[in-house]
Amino acid sequence: MKRYFGAIIGLIIAAGVQGNLPSSMALLGAKPDLILVVLIAYSLAEDPEFGATIGFIAGLINGCVVGLNLGSFIVTRTMTGFFAGMVSTRLFGDNPIVPMFSAMWLTLACEGLFLLANPMPDFGFVVRTLAGKCIYNGIFTLIVYAFVKHLNTHRKIRMANARL
Amino acid sequence: MGGLFRNKTLLTLIILIAIGMTIGAAHNRQLSKGGHFALQDTVRSVLAPVDVVSHTVFSVGNVTLRVFRPRSAILRENARLRREVRRLTRENARLHEVAAEEVRLRTALNLAKSWTLDMIPAEVISRNESSWFDTATINRGRQAGVVKGSAVINYSGILVGQVVDANPFTAQIVALTDSNSSVGATIQRSRSSGVLQGQGSDYLVLAYLPKDADVKAKDLVVSSGMGHVVPKGLLIGRVVRVVRNSIAGTTSALVRPSTGFDSVEQVFAIKPGQNQGS
Repeated sequence: MKRYFGAIIGLIIAAGVQGNLPSSMALLGAKPDLILVVLIAYSLAEDPEFGATIGFIAGLINGCVVGLNLGSFIVTRTMTGFFAGMVSTRLFGDNPIVPMFSAMWLTLACEGLFLLANPMPDFGFVVRTLAGKCIYNGIFTLIVYAFVKHLNTHRKIRMANARL
Repeated sequence: MGGLFRNKTLLTLIILIAIGMTIGAAHNRQLSKGGHFALQDTVRSVLAPVDVVSHTVFSVGNVTLRVFRPRSAILRENARLRREVRRLTRENARLHEVAAEEVRLRTALNLAKSWTLDMIPAEVISRNESSWFDTATINRGRQAGVVKGSAVINYSGILVGQVVDANPFTAQIVALTDSNSSVGATIQRSRSSGVLQGQGSDYLVLAYLPKDADVKAKDLVVSSGMGHVVPKGLLIGRVVRVVRNSIAGTTSALVRPSTGFDSVEQVFAIKPGQNQGS
């Protein structure tokens, strides 16, 4: 339960910070999607079930904050969390490149699914924004993932000590 | 099928997606009815203090960064501001003349004072929470009288968007540039009316103009007041290009908004169903 609590707090903080990121930070017209970053980083460090649950909560928060397309946000984020959790159980090692590239393709898949349900009129804008977002999310996930991994290691050490 | 439901992880995913779709459908139903979605109100109430704290931290950080700017940048800004003051002083004098003339004319016509709109001041506390929507959150909600559909203007009276949802303490506004946004608009000079649609980019399209509409580049575009949601006569932007399709017999215009949504901080929400001077 504690691991869920940490992730939810992370998502709430990400939602607060997301709306205040300066516009000068935009790369190709896109800013990092911090809610998605926190979701992917936590899910990569855990399992698919955890990822799907946290994805559901991330989608709920993101949809409520934006105020539009709540269902699309929940479904796409739930699936993204699930697949991110699968990456951790099927692919992984501790190579830092893996979470970065995983975050990039997961962002692409998540937003691709979202855009299927909510098409945008300007194709150039979509491509540009997706590219910027993937790059940003990849870099930010690497940082957040390292932090989450560090927390998890400490938690496991504490639990092992308690058992001893 | 039995194997599928024995797999707990997959079953969790399917259940969560089903719940998500149900919530989404319920939310859409409430939005179309103009009602309030209780779950969204709850989540927003939890997030509101985080938004306010985050906004305060970023504002303080921004001010701190400005304080420690190099001297050359401050001198450049000072020179720019002096030029701006001179220009505004001239403009102010001219506007005083125009205002005095307007008072004379209004008195003569026995009309009510302008800008009798019921406006609620608010501050933008977060914006663009998703790359796909031009939305923002303001720090006034239903308790302050903000309702869904309220027009939102900046301090200069330029229309920037509309309230898409109002929670008890906050409200979400959607920018005119958002692809979900459309508002009735008029070319100020010729009074040709159409529907101004957001494109998800920096420009707006004024569509459904009459095919022989008198419209040209640099024309001012104002709200038409059609539908009695957005008040008439609010400045929106200027025409940058006119597109006439002789085959389809349509005319549309590309419009640049007079203010960028990213720079909007202090706003006023205007309740629907009002007009200037009404």
